[in-house]
Amino acid sequence: MNFIINLTLREIRSSWKRLLFFFLCIAIGVGSIVALRSLIQNLSQAVGGDARELMTGDFRVTSTNDFSPTDIARIEKVLKASNIVEAENEIVETSAMTRPVQGGNNKVEFVSLKGIEPPFPLVGKFIMSDGKPFDFKLLANRGAVVAPILLEELGVKIGDKIKIGEAEFTITDTFDEEPGGSGGFSLGARVFVEKKAFDEAGITQNRSRISRRLLYRTSANPTALVEQLRTELEGSTLRVQSYRETQERLGEQFERTENYLSLTGLLILVLGGVGVWNVARVFVEQKRESVAVLKCLGASGTKIITVYLLQILVLGFVGSLFGVLLAQLGLYYAKFSFNDSLPAAMKYSVPLTTALTGIVLGILISLLFSALPLLQVRNIKPNLLLRDENNKNLRKLDLTKWIFGIVCLAGLLGLAVWQAGSIIVGTFFLVGLGLTSLVLYFSAVVLTWFLKKLKNFSSFSITQAINSLYRPGNQTRIILLAVGLGAFVVLSVQSLSLNLVREFDFSRNERLPSLFFIDIQKSQAEEFDQLIQASIGEKAEIIPTVRARISYVNGEPIDYQNKEVRQDQGQIGREFAVTYRPELDQNETIIAGKWWQGESSDVPQVSILDTIAETLKLSVGDSITFDISGRNLTVQVANIRKIDVRNTRTAFIFVFRPGVLENAPQSFAATVLKRVPAVKRQRLQRDVIDKFPNVQIIDVAEIVKVVKNLVENFVLAISFVGSFVILSGILILIGSVALTKSQRVYENAILKTLGAKWKTLAAILFAEYGILGIMAGIIGSFFATALSYAVSKYILDIEWEFNLSLMLSGIFITAILVMLVGAISSFNILFKKPLATLRSQ
Amino acid sequence: MITLQNVTKIVQSGTESLTILDDVSLEINDGQFVSITGASGSGKSTLLGLIAGLDAPTSGEVLIDNESITKMSEDDLAETRSKKIGFIFQSFHLIPSLTAYENILIPMEILGLSDAKDRANKLLADVELLNRGHHYPSELSGGEKQRIAIARAFANQPKILLADEPTGNLDSKNGDNIFDLMTDLHDRNQVTLVLVTHDQTLAEKAERQVILRDGRVISDDIHHRATENTEKYEEF
Repeated sequence: MNFIINLTLREIRSSWKRLLFFFLCIAIGVGSIVALRSLIQNLSQAVGGDARELMTGDFRVTSTNDFSPTDIARIEKVLKASNIVEAENEIVETSAMTRPVQGGNNKVEFVSLKGIEPPFPLVGKFIMSDGKPFDFKLLANRGAVVAPILLEELGVKIGDKIKIGEAEFTITDTFDEEPGGSGGFSLGARVFVEKKAFDEAGITQNRSRISRRLLYRTSANPTALVEQLRTELEGSTLRVQSYRETQERLGEQFERTENYLSLTGLLILVLGGVGVWNVARVFVEQKRESVAVLKCLGASGTKIITVYLLQILVLGFVGSLFGVLLAQLGLYYAKFSFNDSLPAAMKYSVPLTTALTGIVLGILISLLFSALPLLQVRNIKPNLLLRDENNKNLRKLDLTKWIFGIVCLAGLLGLAVWQAGSIIVGTFFLVGLGLTSLVLYFSAVVLTWFLKKLKNFSSFSITQAINSLYRPGNQTRIILLAVGLGAFVVLSVQSLSLNLVREFDFSRNERLPSLFFIDIQKSQAEEFDQLIQASIGEKAEIIPTVRARISYVNGEPIDYQNKEVRQDQGQIGREFAVTYRPELDQNETIIAGKWWQGESSDVPQVSILDTIAETLKLSVGDSITFDISGRNLTVQVANIRKIDVRNTRTAFIFVFRPGVLENAPQSFAATVLKRVPAVKRQRLQRDVIDKFPNVQIIDVAEIVKVVKNLVENFVLAISFVGSFVILSGILILIGSVALTKSQRVYENAILKTLGAKWKTLAAILFAEYGILGIMAGIIGSFFATALSYAVSKYILDIEWEFNLSLMLSGIFITAILVMLVGAISSFNILFKKPLATLRSQ
Repeated sequence: MITLQNVTKIVQSGTESLTILDDVSLEINDGQFVSITGASGSGKSTLLGLIAGLDAPTSGEVLIDNESITKMSEDDLAETRSKKIGFIFQSFHLIPSLTAYENILIPMEILGLSDAKDRANKLLADVELLNRGHHYPSELSGGEKQRIAIARAFANQPKILLADEPTGNLDSKNGDNIFDLMTDLHDRNQVTLVLVTHDQTLAEKAERQVILRDGRVISDDIHHRATENTEKYEEF
């Protein structure tokens, strides 16, 4: 044992510089996993940690319609029986247009309007900009408390009046912190008004997308009460939810996100593992003589393997510790760079369990990836000290290596499953990574083979550079795989983002409306049409819309109290805007059934979109019962439609056959296509709000801006991770340069002796890494093009265009990066004197 | 005692089979000093390697103290070497990552000797390199490296010392010194010394001289018969 420990310590003392890349590979990988996990865990704690504050109550009942007296009576009956409700209030929320009342100010903004009543808030804090708590008096006499950004957007100040709907509100204060936070993604700034004023502002009549909720604070655990309410409200469209369930759901969502992000980290760590494997392989080859001496002196193969294994363990452990440190630095960086976008209560420290997970992962990856190369120690025969045979036996695959290979793969699978939190996702990850690596590796083999065929160049430097790529021990294909993979990730994301952003380009989709108007009343339709024509000279397309909810499918009720339905509410439980028309739109095609001819039929009919048909498992001939303003209407599915999103003006999920909905309560939506300059657009919006305060205007340009921003942030995040993949590749490259340095020094000494000047040697060096970089860039860009095509066509269903300049610049940047890194890390060997080198050989 | 019974070693060189040792039988008694000479490629080093169990014969058997090592596993062979055999190489084969002192320490640590450190210092003193113990092999001269290699070979007090051209990489003065050191330690420790050398002068100093040609023993003289041996040697 003494021998093993002593030799391990001595080996670490002498080899740590050579194994520095091993250490860094592990550190970068562990750092990525720990940083990503910690970030999401801290975010989860800051955002979802107190779901009670997020909900601003212990439980709530939500509806998209007014609470009917019957609903209220049913709720009250259960509440009285339980006796744990301490306080309650009702909140009503919608999005609306606002503008300053003051003349000369033409600005118009979309706001997220909240009508509240005392006591508010039931749970959480509502802090004004001056640090004082909210006082309900601020909302008295049509007062409004607004988010500070709205003052900026509208160019108004406290004391000024704004118009929302038909009512005018005086801005009484701005807030710093609102109860429950902003609730994440929002199209407009928050405005608080009194609920009574909200109802009186004429916003609620015939208005879609109004969310109403009754909030309750309880003195005890509300779970039982929530269950009782659900039983009582069975058959209604009201939703009951407790903060505990929200907490659970948020927890699950964050856990899923954390697991997916961990897989990204694992990808970087696995690449680090490839670096480890590479270093270990070359290390064992370089240690052949020492191993033979030790065997000659009587050390068994097992003891020697144990020494090197211990060395790997120590380096893996220290590398992982360094990775945790890097992760902590990364979190501090996130704190200083993205403080504004992250929650104020967020912590920026690495949780202990995450750090431990990272360390365990780092050590396991070190062991898994170095086990096979270390097994080669068994094949080193001590007789090489007498007669140095070639080391072909070293890499021979035998039964033990096969068994170890399988064990390593199983171990890796275990790690992937552990990190993904799912057997299927973990397996897919590993199989996907394996296939990608195989394809990239095969491409590297093909490319280097071609290069070998082309090596008769007139330039001495290029010929020598190509020869160098085949130097024994040179990790050409591994470098191509690693750097190529990094370039592949970054270029794929860039290419996809370019295609995605182009999809929202107005100039490419002539049928994408520039302005969208909703909630136009029947009585307003004609006048509205005239107004639009007068101001922009285009006849708006005006479409009738009816609000409807699905209550039965094929006679089976949709149970809104059911957990799955509640969670799927966004898809099937929501209120749909439906329309009716005799013709099929030009962007629509029928995929099942037939489009109707004529205006009426014996049985009311509906045409449904393929996506909802799939969700509800509906086919032609099935029946759906809609709740339209409290009345049930059963219709038959006449056909299933598909919509070409690239050519879309409107996209209705349900289109009724004429003759069914004409007498139902309805409003109108209108679209205009003409691209109107921003100033003119704003004037039009203001004119519309003045004449029709109930109408909501959606400026598509604004939405496109938000979506573009989201896509860009997404691209930035993925590219950031991709850059770590490239970094791992670069580390493998530097490691490979360091490991083959003695061979390079020797070759250079011979070339110098034969008369090569240092400029020639430098040219060989740059050419070698330049070629390597170009090949890695070609591999990366080729597969990035293929992936972006496949994802655009088969997953996102968007038009794909090849971007030559992106791919060429990708190849160029990769080539420059590899050339610089490779040349810089070997530059000093150009200046070594040849005699000493030749003597030592 | 070392016994070789009809030992043949054939190696594959490309598609060709090369017979390195051809039916060699030898017996070397405990404490004997035997030199093995012969031209390059005559099989000297291979013979030494087979005695040390560094390689296995194609046919025949090698016995150390009447125990066959031919069929031993790699780990058992390592243990036998650790307990019974010391080896000195022409190109020293010190472990470059360890200091001179640590190189001497290694065989004793493998054996798990408790007084390893004291003995390593004593051996350093024996080879007159006490002040160079903390140096790495790359910082030592050829002669110094070979002294350390000799000290290492004697570290685990082997019964058999095998030396493969120990003076081959040294100048004549250093070579003589090393040879004297080796024979002195042999005399003092009463070990069996098998010396492979090209140097006829050194070979003649052995009690017994074995001459190999094309893998066969062509002469095996127990006593000093320098003149005859020289004549046979000069035939090459």
